[in-house]
Amino acid sequence: MGRDECKTMLDALNKVTACYRHLVTALGSTSDSQNLREELKKTRKKAQELAVANRTKLTALLKDKTISKDDRAEYERLWVLFTSSMELLEVDMKRSLEIGQDFPLKVPTRHLIQTGMTGSTTTVAARAMSVQNMKYEADASIDTLDLKDLETEIAQVDQMMEEMEMKVQVAPWAVEAKQEAGAELKSTVSVGNSSVGVISICEEEPKETVEGENGTMKIFVGIIFTAVLLIAGILGYLVINL
Amino acid sequence: MTIRNVRDHGQRFRPRMACLKKVESVVLEMQDPKTGVKSQNQRLVITTIPHAVTGEDIVAWIANRFKTNTLEARAVGTMMVAFGYIYPLQDHKRLILKPDTSLYRFQTPYFWPAQQWPVEDTDYAIYLAKRNIRKKGMLELYEQATRGTSASQHALVLPYRLEYAWSTSLYIDAAGKERKKPDRVVFECQERAYWVVHRPPPGTVSAMDYGTDRMVDPNMEEVKKKTSDYYRRIIMFTQQCIMRPRVKSSVSIGALVKYSTTYKEHDPFLHSSLPSNPWLTDDVTYWALNLPNVETPTKMRVERWTFSFGELLTDPRGRADFRLFLKKEFSGENLAFWEACEDLKWGAAETMKEKAQQIYKTFLARGAPRWINIDGKTMEITVKGLSHPHRYVLDAAQTHIYMLMKKDSYGRYLKSPVFKDTQKKAIAPEAHRFSDAQLEQNAKRRRPSLSPIILRQQEEEQKAKLAASGPVDITQLCRFTAPVPHLAVYTGICEATSPGLMTLPNSAACPSPISVAIDSTPASERRFDGNGGPSSSHFPSIAEVSISEEENQLPAPKSRMSLSLTRLLRRGCNAPSVFASLSPKCAVTTGGGKVQPLGVEPLAQPQPRRIANFFQIKVDIPPECRIYPIDSEDEEDDSPDTARGTVKEIICPWETITKQDGAG
Repeated sequence: MGRDECKTMLDALNKVTACYRHLVTALGSTSDSQNLREELKKTRKKAQELAVANRTKLTALLKDKTISKDDRAEYERLWVLFTSSMELLEVDMKRSLEIGQDFPLKVPTRHLIQTGMTGSTTTVAARAMSVQNMKYEADASIDTLDLKDLETEIAQVDQMMEEMEMKVQVAPWAVEAKQEAGAELKSTVSVGNSSVGVISICEEEPKETVEGENGTMKIFVGIIFTAVLLIAGILGYLVINL
Repeated sequence: MTIRNVRDHGQRFRPRMACLKKVESVVLEMQDPKTGVKSQNQRLVITTIPHAVTGEDIVAWIANRFKTNTLEARAVGTMMVAFGYIYPLQDHKRLILKPDTSLYRFQTPYFWPAQQWPVEDTDYAIYLAKRNIRKKGMLELYEQATRGTSASQHALVLPYRLEYAWSTSLYIDAAGKERKKPDRVVFECQERAYWVVHRPPPGTVSAMDYGTDRMVDPNMEEVKKKTSDYYRRIIMFTQQCIMRPRVKSSVSIGALVKYSTTYKEHDPFLHSSLPSNPWLTDDVTYWALNLPNVETPTKMRVERWTFSFGELLTDPRGRADFRLFLKKEFSGENLAFWEACEDLKWGAAETMKEKAQQIYKTFLARGAPRWINIDGKTMEITVKGLSHPHRYVLDAAQTHIYMLMKKDSYGRYLKSPVFKDTQKKAIAPEAHRFSDAQLEQNAKRRRPSLSPIILRQQEEEQKAKLAASGPVDITQLCRFTAPVPHLAVYTGICEATSPGLMTLPNSAACPSPISVAIDSTPASERRFDGNGGPSSSHFPSIAEVSISEEENQLPAPKSRMSLSLTRLLRRGCNAPSVFASLSPKCAVTTGGGKVQPLGVEPLAQPQPRRIANFFQIKVDIPPECRIYPIDSEDEEDDSPDTARGTVKEIICPWETITKQDGAG
């Protein structure tokens, strides 16, 4: 079914775009490295491939006059989601170009921002590429070399988007939203290994540090707790002895 | 359909914030492991996260680097936090730098405030959606508002974008979960800090406020290719620059100096105002003494009137004083005209046409009741403009009258007894000397002033009063100086009496030797009974009395002679014979006037000889008489509105009389 195909392809594109965004946020920080640059490059390429595939598919479907009204509405909605995704990707690419130019890796006097992120982004990239392990085969000066490619790619994406707008006549404002406001709460996406519990701890941890001053409160509570335990023990002992 | 997400229609570019690049370089310097800021680890319950910096370390580093004191360093640090380059780990909503052990961390370059990337609402929607997932729908109020209804009503975030945001947020969320725990925590903190900077909670001050957008993109590259068009524009621009009228700096600076020296004592910022500045001492005496229509003005205010004519006119009290002076001089119609023009300029659009016509009828028409003296060219322009009246149609005439008043009346006003009297009576309040306790008391006793609605009502009442009393002094004058009825040549006095004033270029109004009588008698009265008497009994030594004498002839029964005269005059035909035939009658009345005008005005000269000269009236109608009426006026001649007709016929003889010089 064309619709499902489209949907899966769009999902894939969204996934890759999301991963790309995560990778770009790590640029320039202490978790930056040659590997990151290579990951960016690979993710980018994958995203572009998916974009092209999506585009051809959707254009073909939309050009088709024989489809029903519902189908058409659905495809238009998908198209609109696709263009939004592309815009996001384009902005991220432009930003990565700018940051990449500002933070070349080889220059010793140029220091990376100490953001606190020290881990690597391999897993994110692996998710994007849908592989288990990432292989790094690029050479050492990828950070500077890649920028030129990046520029050309940005130009390509620009052009593609213009073409898309010209060729396909879809009014974005006419498309109705399928999901309502709280939808994302209910929907699930195939997530890797995490649980809600971990997330809530993440949220709360920063908050706990706020209560640094209230550490004394915690100590106090701890003391009371141990006191209660002691009393309970003493009472029990007395009861047993009686 | 090339509708990209272009929300800019003209003014769209954010102005360049040059400070951002500078702060970036400072932040980069801070990263140096040797010379930068010392970092430590942040200990959370389960993990430790490196690269946390204390506030005091930052302040110390900045102070050291820029060789300033700690206060300055703190301010700079706060600025960096406000821009979002550093974010606090505790108390994340308050973007200030606390110079103690509270922890901060550097923001990743992706989240730096960038000139080129305006913060998109779609991203914000994604962020809120993610948080919604995390917190299971417990967002703060403003975030909810943004996310829910207003985001969709927001022109920038269309529903499809919202939907996209919601769906994308899941993916981004999922992707984020691939990272290790500490990194995830850090990322969350980063993102949260980013959005605190760029979407501040309501009521907080944001450092990213920049005022209005620019029309030109400051980040756009300058023209690389210099085409001929580019050069052509440069040439045009420079030519216009050369052609611009320039003022010599000696002149402009001189004007500035003059202005400063004149006004420096009147500026409340530079000089203490008497009795005391209400903003400083909460004592409103100053405002009470300087109300727009106060009885006795303050000395400072009166001094201001001497600075320039404009000052006098803009101050309502000054204008009132000037009006009084003009009333005494019988040239109040100039000011009245000027005020009427102002009213036209500033008034409502719907009544504009009628107002313009009314003003013309009252002030400018041939034989108008309050005729003002404008030169022929201006009159021509005005009349032409009046066929299609607009707000500024009387501008030329108004300027002319303004200059007239300024050059002539203003000077006389400053030397007049009216002004000297006002000056003497002006109050000079003493300066207050409040103690601190009294100041506090004053502050407690602050009360709001009169509502502007009430003030406006008072203004309107005053205006109405003025309007009611205004025309009386001038227009009634001549009416009440009565001619001998049976000798009256000119019939049917108009409701508005003769101009008679056109003769004198300097707005010598119809005098009112019987001004007292005028004030008391209503405008509609046209009794001549008592008028002849009083007029003859008073002997003001003003030449204008003679004019009033002559104007007294207006309230006369209509005669056929006058009618024919009207027609003659209308055609601008000045048959001496006609006038000659008229003259004896005039002569008689003048003779009966028994008023010997003394020469103040040029009219004085011909006066004694007027009786004799009446028989040889020169009939060259002076230019002032040749007013081009608007079309409607012509029609009125044939109407039973005798007033108009008689007014017209009145005009010319006046002028002929005055134009005579020793003909007799």
